[in-house]
Amino acid sequence: MSSPSQTWKDQLSTQMPEALAREIDVFETQITLRKQGKIEEKLFAETRLRRGVYGQRYDNGQRHDGEKSQELNFPCGALTKGPITVWDAPGMMRIKIPYGKLSARQLEVLAELAEEYSDQILHVTTRQDIQLHFVHIEDTPDLMRRLAAVGITTREACGNSVRNVTACPYAGVCNTQSFDVTPYANALTYFLLGHDDCQDFGRKFKIAFSGCEGESCGLANFHDLGAVATTRTENGTTLRGFRLFVGGGLGSVPQNAQLFDAFLPESELLPTAQAICRVFARLGEKQNRAKARLKFLVKKLGLEEFKRLVLEERDKLRPDERWTAFLSDLHVTDEAPLRPGSPVPSGADASFSAWQRTNVRPQAQEGYGAVTITLPLGDFTSDQARALADLMRKYTGDSLRCTADQNLVMRWVPNGDLPALRADLQAIGLGTGGAGTITDICSCPGTDTCKLGISSSRSLSSELSRQLKEMGDELPEAARGLHIKASGCFNSCGQHHVADLGFLGVSRNVGGRRVPHFQLVVGGQWENNGGSYGMAIGAIPSKRVPDAVKRIVGKFVNERQGEETFHTYINRVGKKEIRAIVDELQVIPPFEVDPSFYSDWGDPRVYTIGDMGVGECAGEIVPFVEMGLAGAEREVFEAQELLEKNDVAGAAKRAYGAMLQAARALTKDRNQNLGDDPAEIVAEFKTHFFDTKLFFDQFAGPKFANFLFKTHDEGGKAESKEAAHQLVDEAQLFVDAAHQCYARLGSSLSTPVQA
Amino acid sequence: MQAEKLQIKLFATTHTVSLEAFVPVFHEWIRVNKLPELMIDVAPYDHVPHGPGILFVGHGSDYFIDEGKGRLGLLYSRKREAPAPGERLRDSLRRAVYVASQLEAEPSLAGHLKFATNELLLRVNDRLRLPSSPAAFEANKAELQAFFGDVLGTAVELSLVSEPRELFTVSVKLPPGAPSPSLAELLTRLGGPPTA
Ligand code: HEM
Ligand code: SF4
Repeated sequence: MSSPSQTWKDQLSTQMPEALAREIDVFETQITLRKQGKIEEKLFAETRLRRGVYGQRYDNGQRHDGEKSQELNFPCGALTKGPITVWDAPGMMRIKIPYGKLSARQLEVLAELAEEYSDQILHVTTRQDIQLHFVHIEDTPDLMRRLAAVGITTREACGNSVRNVTACPYAGVCNTQSFDVTPYANALTYFLLGHDDCQDFGRKFKIAFSGCEGESCGLANFHDLGAVATTRTENGTTLRGFRLFVGGGLGSVPQNAQLFDAFLPESELLPTAQAICRVFARLGEKQNRAKARLKFLVKKLGLEEFKRLVLEERDKLRPDERWTAFLSDLHVTDEAPLRPGSPVPSGADASFSAWQRTNVRPQAQEGYGAVTITLPLGDFTSDQARALADLMRKYTGDSLRCTADQNLVMRWVPNGDLPALRADLQAIGLGTGGAGTITDICSCPGTDTCKLGISSSRSLSSELSRQLKEMGDELPEAARGLHIKASGCFNSCGQHHVADLGFLGVSRNVGGRRVPHFQLVVGGQWENNGGSYGMAIGAIPSKRVPDAVKRIVGKFVNERQGEETFHTYINRVGKKEIRAIVDELQVIPPFEVDPSFYSDWGDPRVYTIGDMGVGECAGEIVPFVEMGLAGAEREVFEAQELLEKNDVAGAAKRAYGAMLQAARALTKDRNQNLGDDPAEIVAEFKTHFFDTKLFFDQFAGPKFANFLFKTHDEGGKAESKEAAHQLVDEAQLFVDAAHQCYARLGSSLSTPVQA
Repeated sequence: MQAEKLQIKLFATTHTVSLEAFVPVFHEWIRVNKLPELMIDVAPYDHVPHGPGILFVGHGSDYFIDEGKGRLGLLYSRKREAPAPGERLRDSLRRAVYVASQLEAEPSLAGHLKFATNELLLRVNDRLRLPSSPAAFEANKAELQAFFGDVLGTAVELSLVSEPRELFTVSVKLPPGAPSPSLAELLTRLGGPPTA
């Protein structure tokens, strides 16, 4: 039995990559500092968001019980983890899963974490991440360590950063792809992760890869950066590249991406993305969050000017071997099947055939199928996750992908094994069919856990799915292929714009009371990478939405011409006819007659919007300089702790590190290409802040700057405890001086240096 | 117990209500501050087969109307701020038994729900402190036997029922025919309803 004093930190020390382990220690220190009131709440909020630690409904310490708002008396008292965010309130942990790929071991660890720190549920998001809910902030460092030990980081899962890089879940096994985008998505993920040029954004930045143009899977059309694989033949050789799109996005003002380059050679992918990030960091809106996504910048500048600025920036970049190093081995992300491919056994029963039709895609590789595991609302349990890990080992080797429609895909299943796999999936409650059909509904968290939720998108989706499944064979064939997606508010996290029938939560006043509604958006396209957005028709009371769906679907089935898609149908009949259906459903009985309309699906409380809080979607704008100075501050604190433990060498190293970090935070602003090398930092600091006297103190002149030069010359070492002590004191003074300098220069520092 | 995060699952013997029926009950309990601890929200997971069912989320503890492994029951789960090591088992069982008795008495559920007292599970939600292994079971058996023997009857039989990847889980059972206390008796033996 392990001894009770043992910690995850000790237990996993040899299994975590060093850099990740250090980052998590740093985050834990920041938690300590915040509890001591030594970090300001805004800064702490952005720090935690950048680690994937997100707020959740009721974390302002208030909850409406249907009659009145009640205080949630958490024991932490006044301590907060961000503006209006109570420390003890449970939160959401977003776990970044690059292009949705999970190994069996990773799945097992996620299962453990869901049990030990959350509620036994693993939730697949619309951007291929895994989320855990009701997590306490003080559990997050250990949670992160356990992830780090299996190669997962939560870094930049939220906040103003490069979010999860997504890709089609069939990449590598797909019949229509130009080539496997996985190694490119992988390279770009780790190249941009924590990259200096991505730390000063005014808003999040989303990247998606797709293997082809026509299918939906990559959704490149509504991302800040979308890369669609393509090839070109020159002098008999096939060259790989990307159709690169920029400035797409959903949200309240959805925007189609624009074509930036019809053929960006593979070798230019990373530097171009880096240059785009720099331009976004420099010129993107910082004050008005509602206008801060890249789509607004591209619109404001115009595509041509934006492109010119990016190419100009591209030329200024300091060359980086990582830009092309990954191209020498594009097989790093390849998956090896466990068994040879085989034909589908004949004589399958009807239930298997129905499942096979919707949930199995033949792979490009003969004899294999990719199996979709349909998840209700993107949820599965810890027990199911462990059982799935076993099935992966039994049938496919080691890869599973989360999908943007909140399911899982198991690839490399030999066709001969499909019936057995189906039976095994059924035994763990995961054998449901209907993937990608009208019953397989996507939903954002909505009022269940989201602070901004207006209506319960999850419970609506659950109810709709239940009712449509109940129709069984009565559900007309033409209706089955439709997509339904729901968002709890206009922020569109459920991607409702790109569904045949999309819903977004709104509220309406009826007879002096609030009534939960959903705005209906029809005719969007999931195909063509989320090719076009639907039209808003009108708001329907939540409780009438299933009725509305059945009526509209019935109308479509009756009036459809030939093989017409819903999208074409809607464009043909126009908004007005659909609106008539909605209008009819809008009138509801008074509260006294039927109170059921006045509460939402899955929530019996009398409906209110009193629980809505301030979202953290935009994070807090904290300039790079301030992040850096706060980091330096924290290093001084750590140096002091090491000194107390008589670790002289460690304390000196940290003190030196703190000075370098503070110097770099300032200097980076003057030289965007500044690297990590101490000699370079010191030299550039000298040029921009010492020689110019900008760093000089009013009374002490060059004194504090000289601490850095001296420490650097000595290599950050101390001979004795006294010397280390002095060094730590000097580091503190240097960091203070850096703060002073920033305060003096203020706007001139944080204002971007124009090209 | 050295581990803080103890869980107790009490099995339902009869249940003719859907999981959904618990949702309004818990919302109402929050409204009237029914439990002497801070409860925050209700999360329905009834769409997930054999899952956590309906979650009643609190600050120090969670309560699930849980369907794990296909058996319906009340799962109590201590998350933080556990009492002193010597008090932990008693405290967890007491909270579970109290909530079970309140659910049995709840007007909208009355007559539809009964909990067994001749069988329960003890789980430890902390793999670091107590991994699921025969050795860990042996090391803790005496303490568990003494505690459950005292409150349920000396005939209780304990067995480790979890595989290594799962949470340390011990089945606590009275042999067939052995008298088992009512929920009310059990609660009295445990010191009555929790007070904080
Ligand atoms: C003003 C605030 C917010 C905006 C504008 C916003 C916008 C979006 C958009 C447009 C998407 C998805 C589509 C895409 O990939 O472009 C998304 C994803 C998502 N959002 Fe939000 N969101 C906000 C706040 C929140 C909050 C408060 C929550 C709940 C805690 C939330 C939960 C999610 C989830 C679960 C996803 C899927 C994402 C992932 O893994 O990255 N969002 N958000
Ligand atoms: S769409 Fe609205 S309710 Fe849904 S997760 Fe996003 S912000 Fe929350």
